[in-house]
Amino acid sequence: MDYTTQQQQQPVVPPMRPKNWLVESILVTLFCCLPFGVAGIVFAAQVNSKYDTGDYEGAMRSSKEAAKWTKLGFFIGLGCIILYFIFIMFMGGVAFWQNRGNY
Amino acid sequence: MTLSRKHILSLIVVAIAGSLLYFLFDPSLSNLFPKCIFHSLTNLDCPGCGSQRAIHALLNGRVIQAADFNLLAVLALPLLVYSAIVAIANSFFHQEWKQKIFYSPTFVKAVLIAVVSFWVMRNIPVEPFHWLSAGE
Repeated sequence: MDYTTQQQQQPVVPPMRPKNWLVESILVTLFCCLPFGVAGIVFAAQVNSKYDTGDYEGAMRSSKEAAKWTKLGFFIGLGCIILYFIFIMFMGGVAFWQNRGNY
Repeated sequence: MTLSRKHILSLIVVAIAGSLLYFLFDPSLSNLFPKCIFHSLTNLDCPGCGSQRAIHALLNGRVIQAADFNLLAVLALPLLVYSAIVAIANSFFHQEWKQKIFYSPTFVKAVLIAVVSFWVMRNIPVEPFHWLSAGE
């Protein structure tokens, strides 16, 4: 399909460029310590390239995928941090209980 | 992206509290900070390994040491700070200022290549690359 026929078939104004979640993906990758963010960056790249070729629906789908992976990484990271704190508290409690006669 | 003022304010509070925490405590000495799961499971460095120590070093003014812990995190921080400032400004001045750089296809691809090659290179235990590892 050449450029002119594409123009005729899609006379509508292109929709807004969907959010690509790049900043959030970088944050998750570098500071949440989970490689899920990398998947987010891959889909972030797809959002732009699909949008620029006129595949607005595909860009929308990639945007949703990027959001999914970024959020997954974020919440798994957050869950691990919370579990880690519970673990530390538990170990602290055990140590305190075991040493209670030593003081 | 426009965030509500309430969200922005709570994010600022979290950022200040977090900075204070990372300024005062050294993640390599205190067990207050979680370890990377990927590193614990595989003994390899993920792209984010060393970023907590890097933030501690940065907040204490040791840029070279921070770059030694995680070069990519140090390079990414100015961009993330820029993004945060634009988001805050948009929310406070009711603007729709765009962060065009994050939507440039070349930039997004460059980020992807940088992250993946950083991930691979920092796990090569030979000298020019070994400097990129998070260290122990």
